[in-house]
Amino acid sequence: MKIPFPSLTFFQALQALMRQDEARFRRLGFVDTTFGIRIVTTDRAWQYLLTFEVFECREVREVSTFDLTAIDFVLQGDLAAWVEMLDNIRQHGGADVSHSLNTLTHFGERLTLLYDDPDNRDKFFRFQESIQEFFDLASALDVELPMSTAAGAVVTT
Amino acid sequence: MAYLSTIDFFTDRNFLDRWQRTLRGELDLGWLHAKTEKLAATPENPRRGLTFRDLDQGAYGFTALPEVVRQNRSLAPRGAELPEGLPDLQPAVSHKSEVWAYNTEGYYEEAMTRQWNATLDVPWHELAKYELPDDISRAYAQLLTFLTEVEMIATDVPAQWLGRLNNEFTEVKNFMATQVMDEARHSEVFRKRALTTGYGLMKASPQNEWSLKLIRDSDSFAEMSLALHLVGEGFVLTLFRFSEYISPTELDKKIFRLVMQDEARHVGYGVQHLKWVMRHFPEKREVIHQHLDEVENMVFGGGYAVEVTEPFIILAGKGTKKENIEHGTRITALFQMKQIEEYFERLDKCGLQERRQRSKLHNALELTRASLQEAGVIP
Amino acid sequence: MAFYLEKDYFEDLELFHLTERVMSGDLTLHWYEAKTERVRVAPRQPARGLTYEDCNVGSYSYDRLPDLIRTNYSMAPRGAELWGKLPDLGYTVNRKSDVWADNVAVLYEEAKTRRWAPAVDLPWETLARAPLPEILEAAMAQLCTFLQECATAALGITSHWVYAINQEFLELKSYLSAQILDHARHVEAFRKRALAGGQGLKRASVCAEQALKELLSADTYPTSSVAGNVLLGSFLLELYRYMAAIAPSPLDLRLFRLAMQDAARMVAYGTGNVRYHLRHHPQRASFLHDYLDTTEHCLLGLAGSPECLEPLILLSGGGSEASQVQRGSRAVAHFLRQTIADYLERCEHAGLSGRSTRSQLPQYLQRLGV
Ligand SMILES: [Fe+2]
Ligand SMILES: [Fe+2]
Repeated sequence: MKIPFPSLTFFQALQALMRQDEARFRRLGFVDTTFGIRIVTTDRAWQYLLTFEVFECREVREVSTFDLTAIDFVLQGDLAAWVEMLDNIRQHGGADVSHSLNTLTHFGERLTLLYDDPDNRDKFFRFQESIQEFFDLASALDVELPMSTAAGAVVTT
Repeated sequence: MAYLSTIDFFTDRNFLDRWQRTLRGELDLGWLHAKTEKLAATPENPRRGLTFRDLDQGAYGFTALPEVVRQNRSLAPRGAELPEGLPDLQPAVSHKSEVWAYNTEGYYEEAMTRQWNATLDVPWHELAKYELPDDISRAYAQLLTFLTEVEMIATDVPAQWLGRLNNEFTEVKNFMATQVMDEARHSEVFRKRALTTGYGLMKASPQNEWSLKLIRDSDSFAEMSLALHLVGEGFVLTLFRFSEYISPTELDKKIFRLVMQDEARHVGYGVQHLKWVMRHFPEKREVIHQHLDEVENMVFGGGYAVEVTEPFIILAGKGTKKENIEHGTRITALFQMKQIEEYFERLDKCGLQERRQRSKLHNALELTRASLQEAGVIP
Repeated sequence: MAFYLEKDYFEDLELFHLTERVMSGDLTLHWYEAKTERVRVAPRQPARGLTYEDCNVGSYSYDRLPDLIRTNYSMAPRGAELWGKLPDLGYTVNRKSDVWADNVAVLYEEAKTRRWAPAVDLPWETLARAPLPEILEAAMAQLCTFLQECATAALGITSHWVYAINQEFLELKSYLSAQILDHARHVEAFRKRALAGGQGLKRASVCAEQALKELLSADTYPTSSVAGNVLLGSFLLELYRYMAAIAPSPLDLRLFRLAMQDAARMVAYGTGNVRYHLRHHPQRASFLHDYLDTTEHCLLGLAGSPECLEPLILLSGGGSEASQVQRGSRAVAHFLRQTIADYLERCEHAGLSGRSTRSQLPQYLQRLGV
């Protein structure tokens, strides 16, 4: 069954895969952070809140706003950037050199990190490998990505 | 001559007599009635297991630690009964605020579960499939030489200090122990990667060595922590992120993601320590500023280390042609500004907002920003 | 001690011009032709990953290190080109044969792959489900109080030297770093074990701490290593083995088995170090013998301290009834014999020949009636 992106189902599927792959994530260590995912187009936004605890993703839910003082950070980007990243993950079985989360966020060119306290923002780095491998799990999913147009915009179905 | 036990166990008659009595079944059992608290700590979250935070209760807890440790200067664990005659370990630091940080115990547990292995967790066998252009390999080997050079300082320094802290500061000492191991692993992974480039190690970086000496020879733990955890490692954290950004292969990306995780913990400790000091000892503000003046001078002097800047330019520009270098210098300039900006951001959150006005480094940042704007590099 | 950089770089015109030059794209590339050996190492055995042994090549190798390091007091990595003005970072241990052991690189790799975390690798829930009888739990709490003192001393010994050892001995310092983490883990594990059982900590030990402080303050690396890794290490290894054998609960079994592995590495390094040291300086055997003649009494201070001995008897006998104490005493007497025999055997095997006849420990056991 195809899993649409963006959707809550998509993140739930990653959550389930992470649970199945417990040994791998246990090996990477505690991951304690709550952060937001914000996917935007010119006319709308999707927002999800992901809570990681101990070795697993404890909760994913869709939210209408983020309170940056209550969570660690938000990863924000155009739908096109997210789609390109997921497409890349699917092709390579994991993000390649141009599509790792740190690369996409480093100068905020494709994805941006929003935060209130830099110390909480630093959790993005403290748990970097776990978060990267969490997204890399998407390579095992049959994701239905919105079509990209030549101009880089995307069309959701 | 080294210390000698106050009791010579070979010749002490009482010691022998008592031991003989014990083996005959005449136990003294004085310890059974030790006047200590009873405690049956349980994991707050069974999946996380039993953590130091779960033990933070009563006299055993770190919350109850007084600012000045007056009673215990021995090897006795915090909360144990202290009989007459325990040795004095001559701890150099017995003030809690000198060493404490919010969440020290959390950083420790995180570090224990997030240890990784440079030998096995990097897919070294995959290197065979990459062939990098000569100028990239060479620049990368030089960068790796610098990285392996600076990492070991952060092994030596916490090792030195952890042995000098009062043993009541268990959680801090244990956190320092994880840092010792983290940094040994960093030195290892960068050295190994350098030796796989086809170049090996290249040139040492004298200017950076002098910076290391400033950190190594700090007068106090507090000064050391500012120089190492907050400033030094703060800059290194941004540098690792940048290195991930410009990494030539997936394997290198993974290396930098892994070292980044460790570094962010060390910086986290540094930030939370400074926050702790500012909250509990606001009168230290001026001393901190004075020391930051020295440390910022160290950071700025790093400009002499062109054997580090130049590889960055080449790696960021992806080559040595004119257009590569142009592109590379632009990105490297942005990276350097980012390092400094993130540092001031951290200080803001620690309550040192006025640092920007007083800092020569901040002034330098503003001048750089203005000249980059003038050159049209940044808006 | 404090060191401050020699100039105010913010006022340094030379630096200003250099930075301006480089950032305008005119690179110096002074490092481009580094005078170093070109190598490309690869894992010899892919399943083992890329080990330090794989990197033991040419000018980068540890085998080719001279015994005395005179040329590098900085952190410049072994094999890199040294140039310009490098600082003296103050290393005071600069002789390879003082610190090295043939198994250093192997032990480092082993330590990393055998890592464990007390919070998540011990079955804490089992203790709450099936608590020990009160007297045994109290004995365990006392033993764990004592073991924290031992682990804290071991941590102090290793961390004290890392700072002083020349950076050229990278693999050795890496191993010692792993050992520091091992010791810290033991402090943690025994603290948690004591505080989870319902009894809390018990009494610190004057005898043990006096002995530990003496071991902790050995004033040269070879003596410190024989004191910390061989003497204290042997004692702890034997004690963990013994406790694993008589463990009163599944949690304790696992705890002592895991601690035993770590202690076994410590002893392996210690004996390897003595062996290497004496192979290069056979005449120093008498110096180490002299040191041990004075210091071996510390082993008695540890084993015979009431805070170690008495709980061990109760745990061995299964309680405090007279018959249990009798049985426990017999078992502990056996443990003492074994501990001293194994320690002396290790000394002999490491090259301290004649130690078993020279040592006063066996006679002391006789006086004890063991
Ligand atoms: Fe590091
Ligand atoms: Fe670090």
